[in-house]
Formats: sequence, C-alpha cells, structure tokens
Amino acid sequence: MKTNRIHFIIIVLIICSLSSCEKIINLNLDTSATGIVIVGNVFDHMGPYQVVISKTINFTESNVFPPITGAKVTISDNAGHTNLLTESSPGKYTTSTLKGIPGLTYTLAVETEGKTFTATSTMPNPVNIDRIYIKRSTVGNEKEITVDFKDPENIDNYYRVIEYINDTLKTGINVGNDKLYQGKIIDYSLGSTALDNETPLKTGDRVKVQLECIDKDVFEYFRTSRGNDGQSTSPANPVSNINNGALGYFSACSVREATITVP
Amino acid sequence: MYNCKLYFLFLFFTVLLHPIAAQQHYTISGYIRDAKTGEDIIGANVTIKELPGKGSTTNTYGYYSITLPAGQYQISTQYVGYAPQNQQINLNQSQKVDFQLTEQVNELSEVVISSQRKNENITKLEMGAQKLDTKDLKNIPVLFGEKDVLKTIQLLPGIKSAGEGSSGFNVRGGSTDENLILLDEATVYNASHLMGFFSVFNSDAIKDISVYKGNEPALYGGRLSSVLDIKMNDGNDKKFGVSGGIGLISSRLTVEGPIVKDKGSFIISARRTYADLFLALSKDTTINNATLYFYDFNAKANYRIDNKNRIFLSGYFGKDVLGLSNRFGLNWGNSTATIRLNHLFSDRLFSNTSFIFSNYNYKININNGIEMHIISRIQDYSLKQDFQLFAGTNSTLKFGINSIVHNIIPGIITASDTTNLKSLTNKHAWENAVYITHQYKFSDKVSVEYGARLSSFSLLGPGTFYTYDVNGNTTDTATYKKGQYISTYVYLEPRTTLNYILNPQSSIKASYSRNVQNLHLLSNSTSGNPTDLWMPSSNNVKPEIADQISLGYYRNFKDNQYEFFSEIYFKSLKNQIDYKNGAELNFNENVESQLLYGKGRAYGLEVFLKKKYGKLNGWISYTLSRTERKFDQINNGNYYPARQDRTHDISIVGIYELNKRWTLSSTWVYNTGNAVTFPTGKYQVDGKTMFYYSNRNANRMPAYHRLDLGATWIVKKTKNFESSWTFSVYNAYSHENAYMITFRDNKDDPSRTEAVQTTLFRIIPSFSYNFKF
Repeated sequence: MKTNRIHFIIIVLIICSLSSCEKIINLNLDTSATGIVIVGNVFDHMGPYQVVISKTINFTESNVFPPITGAKVTISDNAGHTNLLTESSPGKYTTSTLKGIPGLTYTLAVETEGKTFTATSTMPNPVNIDRIYIKRSTVGNEKEITVDFKDPENIDNYYRVIEYINDTLKTGINVGNDKLYQGKIIDYSLGSTALDNETPLKTGDRVKVQLECIDKDVFEYFRTSRGNDGQSTSPANPVSNINNGALGYFSACSVREATITVP
Repeated sequence: MYNCKLYFLFLFFTVLLHPIAAQQHYTISGYIRDAKTGEDIIGANVTIKELPGKGSTTNTYGYYSITLPAGQYQISTQYVGYAPQNQQINLNQSQKVDFQLTEQVNELSEVVISSQRKNENITKLEMGAQKLDTKDLKNIPVLFGEKDVLKTIQLLPGIKSAGEGSSGFNVRGGSTDENLILLDEATVYNASHLMGFFSVFNSDAIKDISVYKGNEPALYGGRLSSVLDIKMNDGNDKKFGVSGGIGLISSRLTVEGPIVKDKGSFIISARRTYADLFLALSKDTTINNATLYFYDFNAKANYRIDNKNRIFLSGYFGKDVLGLSNRFGLNWGNSTATIRLNHLFSDRLFSNTSFIFSNYNYKININNGIEMHIISRIQDYSLKQDFQLFAGTNSTLKFGINSIVHNIIPGIITASDTTNLKSLTNKHAWENAVYITHQYKFSDKVSVEYGARLSSFSLLGPGTFYTYDVNGNTTDTATYKKGQYISTYVYLEPRTTLNYILNPQSSIKASYSRNVQNLHLLSNSTSGNPTDLWMPSSNNVKPEIADQISLGYYRNFKDNQYEFFSEIYFKSLKNQIDYKNGAELNFNENVESQLLYGKGRAYGLEVFLKKKYGKLNGWISYTLSRTERKFDQINNGNYYPARQDRTHDISIVGIYELNKRWTLSSTWVYNTGNAVTFPTGKYQVDGKTMFYYSNRNANRMPAYHRLDLGATWIVKKTKNFESSWTFSVYNAYSHENAYMITFRDNKDDPSRTEAVQTTLFRIIPSFSYNFKF
C-alpha cells in the first residue's frame, strides 16, 4: 500500500519545513566483487528484441557501466523455437527470428565468464489502453497524465506502465497488480511531472504511455526494486527472476501504447 | 519439572516454617502519604531504630507492614524529597501506624545531614531497575520543551532512543516492541504521538516511574527487554487544585481535588498540541492544507470505602490525527480503562484486584475517487489478582494470577466502490500467568529475591489458518470454530536476584531471568509506524525467549552524596523474527509466510555516576554494548549487528540551582550510529541507476551528538499560587545529526552518484508558561 509512503512523506515534509536540511556527504563505502546485470525483454510486437548485459561498478566511479561482451545468449520458446542472439553493439544482444506470442513461455540463457544464467517468463495476453486523458489533481490542480484500461476477470494480472516524454524515457518504477480491481476499469495516473520528476509538464509536451502486461516474477522484481535508494530500513537487492545471483530481469510481456499532447 | 518442584518446596520451607520465637509477635502496618495532597508514597522506607537492618517498604498503594516481637520501638520513615518522621510505639498489640510526610523544600541545595542520606541503592534488592524522580522530569530539557518520560529514561544507561525524535526505545539491545509499558497497570501499545516525536504520558500527572531492564520481578511478564511501569497521581484529597502550562507546541491542564475530603479524590488531565497552526503559515499548498494534532485525556478517581477497602477507577484516552486535505487521513490512538480494588485480608495480607481494558487502533481514510476506510485494532480484556504477604521482617511473599484475552483485528476494509477487498482474519488469543516471588533477607549481608512466572499463550479460532514451510509456501490449511485451540505455548520464566552487601557503602548484585514474549510487532521502519501490526504467537510463529544474566557493583561515595553502579549483562535470544527480502507486511492475510526465524545475543557494560545532593547535581551514564542476530537466510547465517546496535552511548545531565528562582539544566548525549546497509556498488536497469547491496548492516550511520539547554524561572511562589517560565534550546550547537541517508544521481551531473543525508532537527528554541493553584 502506498499509505506508508504517503504519511512518511508528509511527516518528512512537515519537519523539513520547520528546521531540517539535506546535505551531500562523503561516505567511505566498501566495495565488493562485481555483479552481472542482465536486462532482457520479449514483446508481442515485431522484433528484434534486445538483451543488455553489463557489470556493476563502485559507487564513486562515474556512471559508465561496462558492457559484457562475447557472451553466448539464447532465447527459446516452448513451441520449439530457439534463437541465438548476435551482439549488435558491445553488451547489447539482439534476436533475429524470434517472435513474441502471448501465452508462450520464453527461456533466456546467458553464458559468460564461465557462468550460466537462466530465466523464464510467460507472456500474458495484452490489455488495451481504452482512454488516455489529462486529469486535474485535487491537491494543487496539476495536469496528471491518466490512462484507463479494463482488467480481465478471472486471472491475476500484473502491469507495468512506462512513460516517454518527447521520446525520452522517464525513469521510474510503476507497477501494480489487480488484487483490488479484478475485472474492473483501472484509472491510473502517472503524475504531472516532467523528466526530472519535479517540474510540471509544459504545454506541447508529447507524452507516450506504454502499458505492459507482465508476469508475476517480473512484477515481484519491480516491486522489490522500490526502496533501493536507501529509504528502506533493510535495503536489499531486488528479487530477480534470473538465477545464479544475476541482477536485472527477463520479461516476456505484451505492450499497448497511447499518446497525448499536453494542452 | 524436577527443578520446579524443588523450587516451590524451598519456598514453603522458608516462608511458612519460618522459626517463630517463643515471644508474641504483633504487626505494625499502615499507609504513608503526602501530608499536603494525600497521595500515597510508593517505596518509602520504614525502619526500626532498635532493630537496624529490619524494616519494610511501602508498596504501590503506599501500604507497609512489619511484624515484630512485643516491645517499645521508634519507627522512622524516609523518602527522598520529604522530611523524615518518627513515631514511638508501644507494641503490645497489632496496630495501625500511618504517616503523613511533609515535603522538605530545598533538600537538594542544602547540605543534608549524612544520616538522612539514603543508601537504598546499595541495600535494595532490585537490580537493573531504575526509579526516575518526577523532579528530574521537570528540570531536564527535551524536544520542543515538552516534559517527556520516554525521552528522559533514554538518558539512563542501557536504554537508548530508537531514533531522532522517536519515543520508541531499545533496552539492552532489544527491539522497540520488547518493552512492556504500563500506565496504572494497563498496557499501552503505542506510547508515542506524531510518529514518535512525543510520548503519550502527560508528565504533570505522573507519580512514579520504574524501569526494569530485563530482570523484572515475576509479577510482570509478556515482553523480553524491559518493563516501564508508570503510576499516575491519585489526586489531592484535601483541596482543589488546577495546574497547567501553555507552550509553543502544546498546552496542558490538570484539575484535581477531593471527592470526600481525606477519603476520596479525583484527577483529570488533558493535553493538546497545535502544531498545525504553524503549518498553515507555510507557502506550500500541500503543507498548509495538512492537519496535524494530538490530544490526551487522563482521568482517575479513588475512594476509601473503609479502612480495609479502597476502589480506584482510571482511564486514558488519546488520539493522533494526521490528514492531507480530504484526500488522505490517518488517525490512531490508545484508550485504557481500569477498575482496581484494594483489600486488606489481614494486616499482613494485602490484595489488589484489577479489571483492565486496553485498546489501540488506527484508521486510514482514503478518498481519491473511491472512498476507502481501513480499521485495525488490538484489544485486551484483563483480570489481575495480586497478593502481597508480609510474612516477617525478613520475608515478603508476592503471588497472583493474570489472565488476558487479546482480540486482534489486523484490518477491516470498507469501500464505497465494491472492489473485491477482503478484510483480514481476526485473531483471538488467551494469555494466562501465575506467579510467585519471595523476597528474603538471609542475613545482614545477603538478601535474595527468587520466584517464577508460569505463563501460557493460546491462539483460538474461529477462522482459517495456514501453516507455512521455511520458504513461505503453504503446507496446510485448516478451519477452526470459535474457541477452538490452534496453538498453545507454556513456559516457566524464573526470575532471581541476589544482593550481597559488602559494607553500607557497597554491594554486589547478581541476577538471572527468563522472559517470554507472545505478541510481536511487525515493523519495517526504524521509528515505528502507527500502522505496524501486532501479531500473536501461532502455529507458525513461536514465542520469543530471552535469558539474561547480569552482575553489578554498586557503590556510594562521600556519605551517599554520590551513587555509582556498574553492571554487565549477557542476553541470549531465541525465536527472533525478521523478514524476507521485499516482504509484504501490510494487509497481507499470509503475512506469516514472509517471516524468517533465527536467534540473537546482546551483551554490554553499563556505568552510572550520580550526584544526588547539592546546588549542582546530575549524572553521567555510559553504555558499551553489542547486539547481534543470526538467521540462516541473512548474511550466510553469520552473526550480524542488529539495526539498533550502537557501540557507545553517553549521556551527561547537569542541573544547577542558581538561586531560589532560577534553575539551569543541560544534557549532552553522544552515541555511535545505528548499523545500516549501504551500497557496495551500482548498476543500471532501463536507464535508472540501481544500488548494489552485499552484507546487511555492515555499515554505520555517522555518530550522533547533541546538547540541550534549559532554564526554569519561578516567577511567583506563594502558598496558593505558583507560576514559572521554562525556556529550552534543543540541539544548542545545531549539530546536523543524520536521520536518514539515501543515494541518488547528482541532479546537475548525472554521471555521478551521491549520498544525501537528511537531518531532522537543527536548533529549536522553545518556551512555556506554567501555573499551579
């Protein structure tokens, strides 16, 4: 539930307005053995699909994440197709013949640096975005990008919403399940801020919203990714659906999108 | 079971077959009260001039009893802050001897005659127990200038704050739910207001505060680490009085007076905060629309029916309200109600019967299109029967039973739209305990308190209950009818303390105790959310057990002007609870599948030096400690520091009485930071920088230190009216203590990541005006 975060935020805001402050500090952080990060998606639209493999770096280093080259990456489905991916650019491996079809189960296998990592994901059926519109928020009267879609009854659905503003991906984690909305129309607001998560959207901004239907393990990955920045009392790595200690996720999902220009 | 039987057999021999001399014995008994207000004085010493080393202490209701051979005696009584009194007794029959003590003004600033200074910290049996003087409460400056019991006890060794501004506390490495907080015998589940910034206790109406750090007597049970026993004033039974104060953040008012003069009295206290008035000044629309306040209400009445019977009625009601326009609202609060009956079966057998109701609940209201309300509560109905048998001048026996029915409603959800929301299954539990304790003085040098508490805890139906395996998968589902037993745990909790008096200036104490806890607070946050869930022991969750041994050296200096003690302790913890990675604790019917079980240990050294008398007085306390946990699934099954582990903890308190009108005070605290988990690396997923974590709690928050200053100016003090101003400065040198450290990409240069420290409070001055009629 978001309530804990809401009232936590309220208290911090209130207290911040009284006398507190934030400051950047230098911490002497430990370093650890590098981890391997694998991020792969299979969509229900035409390929090719991509798997990105990189390494972790130390906290103090610049955000240039070294790619892992020369890995053997295959994606197969349970209908008998197997695709060996080719490295189109360092760390980026693309499919050629694989087609994403809802209902099939896809298996990813990565061999690199003497270790093997595997993951499976079953692609759910797609859910269309019925409506995209601007809703005025009750607090602050801001323009919130909102989408409506109908949750299919009788199955457990997991959703991921991705936002692009003027063709740039807005980073953030927006996932949800249908526990409270089984079979109903879900009215989901993405918020009213621009790419920096602070300033409001400007008139003329083109916002593209993608609604992904993801499977349960991928939902668990994103759910446990929240609180990764140290706000949780026991921060830990998200629960990945890739084995052998890999970071990242492998998701076979169906996608629908809608676009709106901010008035 | 063998040990049990020998134990109780020994008990009978020493108590009942106590050698009685051929001479006739008579009993002197009675009540010791404050002459001005009629309040019972708890823990006053009664001594006999002709029989040094023998005596008694008044119990919670101000009652004492001594049985002596016939003869002539001078009985004296003493209590800190009061002038001693004597009475000559010709003991040729059992008689009632009451005392009415008068306050000794300026006892601290004058040099008190050494014979009057007490060394009861050397002679008394309690170990790891500290009594807090209500006068200390008045002088010590705390956050926002509010007198706060919970903040003040954190200045004692072994007791640490759970976090900046938090009322929760950790005792000897235990978690914040391991403290039994009692207000006139009723359990208080959430002792803090506003997310921990204030406590629920209105210090105007408090009479007595005792803290036990793990080796509490057998009459207490249910929590592993400590007991905080708070007794409220009963009310002035001689004349009406009004007192109160108006402060920057909150105001309070107390009204007390007699119902029937010298026979009965009442007291009503109320307190309300108005922090939201300041929020309305903010420019930010989110903040100036917010509601934020709490209020407290204490009411008590008592009546002496005759000289053998007395009845007490008390209640507490408090509520916190937090809201954001009409979109979101959260309110929570405790309420308690108690009926107590004192009865004297004989002048040696004192009995108290209590009927107690205690309730803690929270309500969440959400209105963002769909209106939704969530209610959660825990309710206790409790019966306590306590006996105290004053068996001889050397021997007191306490025994009794306690039975509590717990009703836990984890979450009832109602919504305007018929979304398929299922309320969680309610839980019912029945807790019983029987205890017996014997305080016995073997000789002038050796006294011992030994006893045990036999406790049972059962989870009852109705409902559907699941059994989970170690991975959280459901292995069994069973449905139970109302009143059917799902699980029962029975434990024996021995409690023993030994005091060896080396000389009137020093003693050594040793103790062993076992504590069992059956209600567990599931919490993912450091300061404690009001929405944290209390969960009973069940077919999946075993009771937590703590075994503690401690050894202490107590010493007084300079004719009891200085008190010193040093204690070491070791605690072994079993059936500790932690959470799976990414555990869902809120509104989860299968919350027990998210738990991990392990063990723990805590050990430390506590040092305390107090100057009790003189113009300048105060204390220094230092704790060196470690608290660790061990879970198979965390840190490869190695011992790792618990979040509340802090190596060093120092508190220095100084109170200086400048003159009759001005008192200055200051406190300085320092502690090593909590154990935390910081990232050891970073990576990128979908354009977002993610942080890589390795071992849990391998890092430390920066050290915390803070200086508070306070001053009290007594403007007017006459027989009928008192008024004063209190000024305080919290965090006088404005040290930026870390409340939270988070990590993010630098806004201006996203190729760098940075650590951001949030400080909650810098320097905060405050003042309040206090009055008393």
